[in-house]
Amino acid sequence: MLRLILRRLWMAIPTLFAIIILSFLLMRFAPGGPFDGERPLSPETKAALESSYGLDKPIWEQILLYVGRILQGDFGPSLIYRDFTVNELIAQGLPISLLIGGLALLLACAIGISAGLIAASKAGQAIDEILMLLATILTALPTFVTGPLLVLIFAFSLGWFPVSGMDENISWVVLPVIALSLPIAGAIMKLVRAGLAVQLSQDHLRSARARGLSPVKRLFRHALRPALVPAASYLGPAAAGVLTGAVVIETIFGLPGLGRYFVQGALNRDYPLVLGVVTLYAGLIIAFNLLADLMYGWLDPRMRDS
Amino acid sequence: MMRFSIIIVAMIAVLAVFMPFLLPWDYAQIDWDGVGLDIISQQAWQRGHYLGSDDIGRDRLARILVGTRITMSIALAAALVAMLIGIAWGVIAGWIGGRTDDIMMRIVDALYALPFMFIVIVLMVVFGRSILLVFIGIGAVEWLTMARVVRGEVKAIKSRPFILAAKASGASFVAIILRHILPNIMGVAIAYLMLTVPQVVMVESFLSFLGLGVQEPMTSLGILVNEGAAQMEINPAALLLPGGVLIILIISLTIAGERLRDRINAGGIARPDAGAA
Repeated sequence: MLRLILRRLWMAIPTLFAIIILSFLLMRFAPGGPFDGERPLSPETKAALESSYGLDKPIWEQILLYVGRILQGDFGPSLIYRDFTVNELIAQGLPISLLIGGLALLLACAIGISAGLIAASKAGQAIDEILMLLATILTALPTFVTGPLLVLIFAFSLGWFPVSGMDENISWVVLPVIALSLPIAGAIMKLVRAGLAVQLSQDHLRSARARGLSPVKRLFRHALRPALVPAASYLGPAAAGVLTGAVVIETIFGLPGLGRYFVQGALNRDYPLVLGVVTLYAGLIIAFNLLADLMYGWLDPRMRDS
Repeated sequence: MMRFSIIIVAMIAVLAVFMPFLLPWDYAQIDWDGVGLDIISQQAWQRGHYLGSDDIGRDRLARILVGTRITMSIALAAALVAMLIGIAWGVIAGWIGGRTDDIMMRIVDALYALPFMFIVIVLMVVFGRSILLVFIGIGAVEWLTMARVVRGEVKAIKSRPFILAAKASGASFVAIILRHILPNIMGVAIAYLMLTVPQVVMVESFLSFLGLGVQEPMTSLGILVNEGAAQMEINPAALLLPGGVLIILIISLTIAGERLRDRINAGGIARPDAGAA
């Protein structure tokens, strides 16, 4: 177990570095810089600013310096939010993104697994067909359409939830979480349904049926756990989906999460901010993939050896 | 279901391509006397704005149709780019096999783990926002699944007798690929092409929504949804109409692609990783 974790972490290191270096180079070779604002600065001021942020050194030296700082857990100062370091901005944004993303994943799992169970237990019947069609429709819904639609219906027309922003009342999380979770719920639904179909046709389930076990017991005690393996392997992409979805959701709902800092940072050429957020996102996605791998062993003991 | 959704997609495509020519207003043309007309109002109808006009007086129907046209053509072009890269990568990996195959597929695995959306966003910011770049960027990102599927298919076909016969009769590598491998993987490739298209539609609209994709005065469904979301309190139609078109388009494309894939998988060559995507 420990060896698996260590090996996966070891393999994640080059991926992480590739991402950092790629985004670093992309940002640096872009025309336009962070100090090319509306009012042109005098060459001396610009040079002084660039040298104080280390932007006048050769590219490879900048990369080395940057990677060295990241290894110490320091993403550097933000170029646009002048009085903040990237670490401070991340510390502000990350809890909001994690709250929304985590709740959305949980909701998606709850909806996806229960609907998948219902569909698989009624395999071939009308309800199965309807649920699977619904799953396809859910996966096809873009968050930037469902988000505004939910606001239109539940905030403007019915007035149940706040339109945007955060307030004292925790109900502001409801709409963003729902919008974010729908496509993932659809995907999990399909995966659970397919996994159960495979499991239910196995020999040990036929014998369980022959022994007279009730359908509920067969489903929950024998079939469900191994059937969740495909859904667990979807966890990595799902985490990525939550993070990208969050960029839009945070924009629509006016939430000061990481996604908004990312977009703002990218538009304003705030190199350290964008690099910091991308690195963090990559780390999160790698962590989720690892978590999924660890879940395999728990869900299906036969996979522990490999 | 499959036929139904293909018909819907075809209808949307035909309308988007031809209907703008029949309208009295151009998509970028400003009607100074008909600004912000409601969707069902006599004035709008009389002035030839059949679905009203937006807040600076441009015809809503024309904008939605042209936006759909742009979104669909970018999607098709990007999906084709993705298909070409994917097929080339998959054929080479599957045909050569061994160490090369290992490395090439390891690269695909590694790329899957990247937060691609963010790289695309960075790309768009960095290299300006031309339509060409939008679809090259998206195409370069969406080829991974295609490469995996094609590679599996090539591996399955490679050892079949007709390939061995072609080899024995002295056919060159290029001839075998063109004559024997490609025709056999085309079905699967087209099914996955159809599944890539809705994904690209989504990515393109997403980028345009963030203001990083297609630029004004050109328009796309993503831009229209974004504009609509900004004024939905006053004018829900501005959000509902383009959003509705976008959702119907993506759903129909997805259903058609999935059914086609399932059909090919059911009748085609056994593939170990079928449906894994």
